[in-house]
Amino acid sequence: MAIVELKNVTYKYPLTDTPVLKNINAQVNEGEFVAVIGPNGAGKSTLCYTVAGFVPHFFKGEITGAVEVAGSESSKSNLHEWVLNVGLAFQNPFNQISGAKYTVFEEIAFGLENIGVPREEMIQRVNDAMKLTGISELADRSPYSLSGGQQQRVALTSILVMRPKVLVLDEPTSQMDPIGTREVFGVIRALAEKGMTVILAEHKVEWIANFADRVVALHEGEIIADGKPSDVLTSDLLAEKGFGLSRYTSVARKAKAMGMWQKERLPVTLDEAVEGFTLTLPSPKGRGE
Amino acid sequence: MNSLSIYVARESGLHKLNPLTKFVLSLCILLGGLAFSNALAGYVILFAIVTPLAMFGGVTKRMYQLVFNISWPLILSVFLIQSFFWGAGTPLFEIGPVSPKLEGVLFAFKSSGRILYVMANFILFSLTTRPDTLMISLKQAGLPGGLAYIIVSTLQLIPQYAAKANIILDAQRSRGLETQGNIVTRARALLPLVLPLVISSLLEVEERAIAIEARAFNSNRVETSILEIPDSQSQKTARAGMIIITILLIAGRFLWQLSS
Ligand SMILES: Nc1ncnc2c1ncn2[C@@H]1O[C@H](COP(=O)(O)OP(=O)(O)OP(=O)(O)O)[C@@H](O)[C@H]1O
Ligand SMILES: [Mg+2]
Repeated sequence: MAIVELKNVTYKYPLTDTPVLKNINAQVNEGEFVAVIGPNGAGKSTLCYTVAGFVPHFFKGEITGAVEVAGSESSKSNLHEWVLNVGLAFQNPFNQISGAKYTVFEEIAFGLENIGVPREEMIQRVNDAMKLTGISELADRSPYSLSGGQQQRVALTSILVMRPKVLVLDEPTSQMDPIGTREVFGVIRALAEKGMTVILAEHKVEWIANFADRVVALHEGEIIADGKPSDVLTSDLLAEKGFGLSRYTSVARKAKAMGMWQKERLPVTLDEAVEGFTLTLPSPKGRGE
Repeated sequence: MNSLSIYVARESGLHKLNPLTKFVLSLCILLGGLAFSNALAGYVILFAIVTPLAMFGGVTKRMYQLVFNISWPLILSVFLIQSFFWGAGTPLFEIGPVSPKLEGVLFAFKSSGRILYVMANFILFSLTTRPDTLMISLKQAGLPGGLAYIIVSTLQLIPQYAAKANIILDAQRSRGLETQGNIVTRARALLPLVLPLVISSLLEVEERAIAIEARAFNSNRVETSILEIPDSQSQKTARAGMIIITILLIAGRFLWQLSS
């Protein structure tokens, strides 16, 4: 069943003439894990903000069409009510720390305080959320004393604790080192496996290939592909449009042209690449293989 | 240190008081003290009220350290200026054309007492009250939530931005920027240092706003608090009592001044 529905959404930022999102039609089913890819400026962040209600409630501007989550419509709601439908986390973990709190535990409770959850229930929910993301041992630390990966997990937990129906993540690992990236992706993957509906804007295609149910490709504000990761991430169209796809795909595409890739489907990950290559060694006697 | 606060965690009775009670107490000590014009008033308040409170809070040593570190230049200059630049008065001794006057020294002594008790009073309050709990109680007492948020988060963010400034400083130095030397060199170095900091913090403001909105900051529901802030009927009574006493003191002072 579709939990998120975008119906013919077109959006212009204030004081601009060209729409950044053009006639977007898409649905996300409950429990689905959808990755959004696209070159810089394609509108990934704007799409995230739109589902999360910040477009138009925070950024203003001109929106047409409808954004619906679990049957209610974004433009008819308030941002502070909408964030209970859709949780948003984004790139820079430092800027997501409220600054009003001295410990991770209190930081995570911030959103619950704002919506007036009683203290006993709040403590329970914060503990549960920290367990879910594996950060219980950070509870008493200052949010500012943490590594980027830890801070991002705190930011994610701070959103999860509010129990949104849908989680929207805008390149949550783009400012992270490999260790931080692995930490954060580990949490996202665990959430997806638990049945959370996740929309993730992301550049790291190999990771998407392994874990996303679906990939939506945005190009200049339009959806140009929408389907299974193995199809979308290897499509020729995306390669032509200058999407930064997996290097294994690029290598295999070249290899295919040279007759060194026999499989129908191009690879996205290293494993698929290793599996699919048929090595044709140039041989003076022309025996091949 | 992660925050600009000088708060020292202790299990004392003073720490356990409601922040509002301490806030009112501090304010009353500050204003009440100003109602007395006696030369010794400041010292009496310091030793008979503020110091016992500090002992109760277990922070006497720390309080005096901070008071001393902050106020000695001020007190020294008050003594020098008041005694040497006092117009007509009783000269104590003469050094060439100048002479310190007895009246000036007495005035400086009185002012110093005031400086000391005001500082000690403020520092004691800061040492025993967490800024975030104070803000929660001030919010409960009617301070707008946005203002409280700005105050507490600024206290935490300033040290973070200071750290960032140092990173920029190192980065620009490693690109060959001269930051040491005479005034001109230093002034020239300022732009490449300040600009990245200002621009990045301006860009960050929007992200910060989004991040707190994503956590329903502007929700119109009645807020709750994860921190339990102790309060009691007797503290409420005490706060009212202290406010009344202070108002009486100040009123008394005015009447006394009018009648004489
Ligand atoms: N606040 C704004 N006002 C006006 N135009 C904006 C605003 N924010 C983004 N844009 C423009 O909207 C377009 C899409 O931007 P968006 O940030 O959604 O792209 P993106 O796909 O997230 O890119 P990136 O990969 O760089 O994060 C860009 O052309 C950008 O310049
Ligand atoms: Mg973006």
